[in-house]
This record gives sequence, structure tokens and C-alpha cells, in this order.
Amino acid sequence: MIKVNTEDHPWNKPLTVQELLDEKGYIFPHIVVRINGQYIEEDDYATQLVQDGDDVLVLHLMAGG
Amino acid sequence: MEPGQYLRNHEAISRQEQQILADKRVLVAGCGGLGGYVIENLGRVGVGHLRIVDGDFFEESNLNRQLLSSHINLGKPKVLAAKQRMQAVNPQVEVEGFQTRITAENASELMQGCDLVVDCLDNISSRKILQAACEEAGLALVHGAVAGWRGQVCVILPGEKLLDKLYPNPMAERGEEARQGTLSFTAATLGSIQASLVINQLLHPKDWGSRVLLIDLKELLFHTIVLD
Repeated sequence: MIKVNTEDHPWNKPLTVQELLDEKGYIFPHIVVRINGQYIEEDDYATQLVQDGDDVLVLHLMAGG
Repeated sequence: MEPGQYLRNHEAISRQEQQILADKRVLVAGCGGLGGYVIENLGRVGVGHLRIVDGDFFEESNLNRQLLSSHINLGKPKVLAAKQRMQAVNPQVEVEGFQTRITAENASELMQGCDLVVDCLDNISSRKILQAACEEAGLALVHGAVAGWRGQVCVILPGEKLLDKLYPNPMAERGEEARQGTLSFTAATLGSIQASLVINQLLHPKDWGSRVLLIDLKELLFHTIVLD
């Protein structure tokens, strides 16, 4: 089990950040990903693995006023 | 103090708290979608002194969401419209308007004498300038940002630097709003929550523990996350 934005999400095997984003339907180009408090660079989405127990935050980049 | 103006604030806000608010000065940076609702709410609740900073003039594209914009004030400075609006809504509120942009050179001076700062800006670099000046001045910053149906809001205390975590890419200047625009009710919702945080923080200062409220009005999702 992992957490995605504070909610439980099933985890069956290691998957990349990109695979998780695809699975959750996060398709916006402006996204900020943090795993266990650590910022993940966009270039690493295809290789960075999400492990069992990880706390993942996916934030939509918003700056409009 | 005009007795009728604040009658329906009581006892959610006590008479003693009402007087505390009357003596407070808040800087509202940005007078667009969020800022319009923040100013409206703070003035109606009774914050005594509002300092409003915005260098823009109203244009047609503002009409879909900016409370202070209308067909009769297109081309008018936003700070002037805010001042006139508050004069009509609550003339007890002193409004200082500064028709300028927030810069590294003027941010500290603009917040002199203020008790709290509200971030209603529309770009990341200006927001970070505001955060840095708040750090230096030891002031709380109530941040809000919107894009389409979504928004985020938080109280940033000196030392937390939450904007560095919300906007970790130093090259990014805008977010999803550049693609999705912003809807009226999203600005109204987030601006109103910002105003509630301002009043709460002025009356009951506290450490919010790096909490950020994320809102998605399309899915009716409200998430509070901790950015530690």
C-alpha cells in the first residue's frame, strides 16, 4: 500500500513515477511530485521507482491569481 | 465604530475582536481574481486598514472572474476600483492603493507597518519575492493560487518557505492557469478561504504546521497535505 495525496492506493509491484501518474490519470503538464518529502525532477519520472509504503504527493502547479 | 455595520459579525467575532481587527493593517498583493474577493471579505468583516498593491488596469479578459472588474471600469487602475468599491461597502476601512508591481526593491517598504501579507499574485517569481520580504519582516503570508477548477491555499510563517516546495522548479513562472484559465467560482472560493485565514491569523495567531489545502471543485475534493 502507498499513499497518494494522503489517500491509500494499492501497490502490487515497484512502478515508476510516470506509471503511477498514468494510472492515476494525472495528465497535466505542470505537476510537482514529492515522494516521502523529496522533490522528484521531471526527468526522473521514467526511472524513479515508487516502493511499498511510500508517501507520494502529486501537486498541480498553480500560480494564477 | 458604526454600530450597524458589524452587527451580524457578532458573536462569531466578539466586540473585542472586532476592535482588534479595526486596528490591523493588511497588505493585499494583487487585486485580480483572488485579490478582489480577499479585499471584499476583509473590508466587510472589518479589517481597519488595507494596503493594496497592483500595477494593472482592468481589461476585458478580467470580466469572467474578477469581482472588481466591470464594463464601466475597463481601462481603470485596479487599485482605484478597489478603493472606490470599499468606500461604498465600508467607508470605515482605510484603503491605501499602490499602483505598482511587487519587486525585490519595493516589497519590504510596501509591507512596513503591516500585520500580515496576502499573496494574490499571478506569477511565481513575484510570489517568491513576497515570501522573501515576509521572511525578513517576520510576517505571516497567506498564499492562494488558482487554475481552472483547482486552487491551493496556506498560511506561511517565517522559516517555512512553503512556496519553495510548491514551486520547486526555479525556471517555472506560470502553472496550469496558463492553459486552463481561471473560473469565477474558483477565485471566489479560494479568495474567501484566504480571507478567513487572514482573520483567523490576526485574531488567533498560530502555527498551521506547513499545511496546504488543495481544492478541486470539479471533483469536489478537498485535501489537506503537509509540506514538511
